Amino acid sequence: MSMFTITGGFTGLAASSRVRLARNLKGWPFRLTEEQHAEIANKVFAALQSNPTVGPEFEKRQIVPRSAEAARLVEKRLISPELAQNGGYLIVSKDEGVAIMIGEEDHLRLQVIGAGLCPKECLETANRVAALIEAELPFAFDERLGYLTACPTNLGTGLRASIMLHLPLLTATGSIQRVTGFAGSRGCAVRGAYGEGSQAVGGFYQLSNQVTLGASAADLTDKLVETASAVIDAEKKAREQVRAQNEPALRDRICRAAGAMKSAFLMESAEAVQCISDVLVGLQMGFLTGADPQKLYALEQMIRPAMLDGAPQERDQTRASLLREAAQSISFT
Amino acid sequence: MKCEKCGKNEATMYYKETVNGVTREMHLCPECAQKENLGGAFESAFQGMNQLWSDPFHSFLGGGFGSLWSDMLGTPAATLLGEERKCPSCGLTESQLRRTGRVGCPDCYNTFADILNPYVQKVHGASRHIGAAPAQAEQPKADPVEALRAQLKTAVEKEDYEQAAHLRDEIRRLEGEGK
Repeated sequence: MSMFTITGGFTGLAASSRVRLARNLKGWPFRLTEEQHAEIANKVFAALQSNPTVGPEFEKRQIVPRSAEAARLVEKRLISPELAQNGGYLIVSKDEGVAIMIGEEDHLRLQVIGAGLCPKECLETANRVAALIEAELPFAFDERLGYLTACPTNLGTGLRASIMLHLPLLTATGSIQRVTGFAGSRGCAVRGAYGEGSQAVGGFYQLSNQVTLGASAADLTDKLVETASAVIDAEKKAREQVRAQNEPALRDRICRAAGAMKSAFLMESAEAVQCISDVLVGLQMGFLTGADPQKLYALEQMIRPAMLDGAPQERDQTRASLLREAAQSISFT
Repeated sequence: MKCEKCGKNEATMYYKETVNGVTREMHLCPECAQKENLGGAFESAFQGMNQLWSDPFHSFLGGGFGSLWSDMLGTPAATLLGEERKCPSCGLTESQLRRTGRVGCPDCYNTFADILNPYVQKVHGASRHIGAAPAQAEQPKADPVEALRAQLKTAVEKEDYEQAAHLRDEIRRLEGEGK
């Protein structure tokens, strides 16, 4: 376990949690030149280095615009597509649990990423790291508007907390609209994590807070966790309902997915995500054993196109072999 | 079909996103799509990743989609008079603000308060920050004279008159400085 590795509960249904704080340095305009980005990156890095415990955990990387490395960092969700496009800097902890982007629309985008349902723990870490930086480099702050950001939608706490939820059965039973309505009524937004429109591939959704001003970061995070817990309960109920209605069909689908994962030689990205999604359901519902859901979530990131080298067919082959390896120990119950 | 953003070029890119079940579709020209970080071989590798990153309200209300932002905020009145309002600190103009939905510096929030305050209220349903504040603002600096007076009191109680005299002189010196 490393310093910033956070793991929360519900690892079978909540893939990951992340918290992002938007911060700008006092006395600077928001839009900066490349040289100014470099200067800020050096200052932030130096501020972290001044702490003997935390300092050695961090490294600073320059992001070369549109490079393959930038694309990989996007797929690992350590940087945004915008930063990959325009370039900038990433100050990241060795375990990749804390990532600070410099060069986005705000000077600093500080993120903390954890496994499972753990936005509160992520927020605590984010606050600690932000305080270390703030002690050396004061942030732009206004008593009325809170932390000042380039876009008024991020004012106040500058907080975007989100949880990646795996909701394949709510998707299959057509209940996602109800989930989004419920989340919306509680100040949260639901969006498909991959793919276009409401048809989220593999049933992965991102649940996040909508507003950033008028409530404390802790309260916004609490509300997000409450909402996520209710949605997780709904997904569990949907799974049991489907089991009660037609267990053989459900078991068939899951076992076929595990079979494909164990034996396929070529696998496209969308099919792979669907297989992993079905196998995750199988593990949670007890049709399958022998795999750690968190490893499958990690696998799901590893097999995305930018993470693999070579021509499309070579990638499909590499992807299939990664899936076979991960499925080796899976057995049917 | 013309680009929905600039209205000039031919729209060749199709963009679609769904937030909270509401689907928004846009037909854009390559230039505008690039400005919005959409489209292109590089982007296609990321598929839905932009949705993961973009803030729900960004893409929805502001996010540089000029038409949506302007719809909410109206037309810049000053441009009709020929002289545009500018932020004295960073030079951002009112029309730039309306077009991009981004401010240029902290002072813009004062310069364009008449535009931004109602928008902030509408987006957040609140107008005042609650919660964390910079540590410096939370802890007002302790008055050094007060601290010395407390020490003087203790010294007198302990009958340590030498220390008391020293503290008294120090207090007088500091008070003298303050005048």
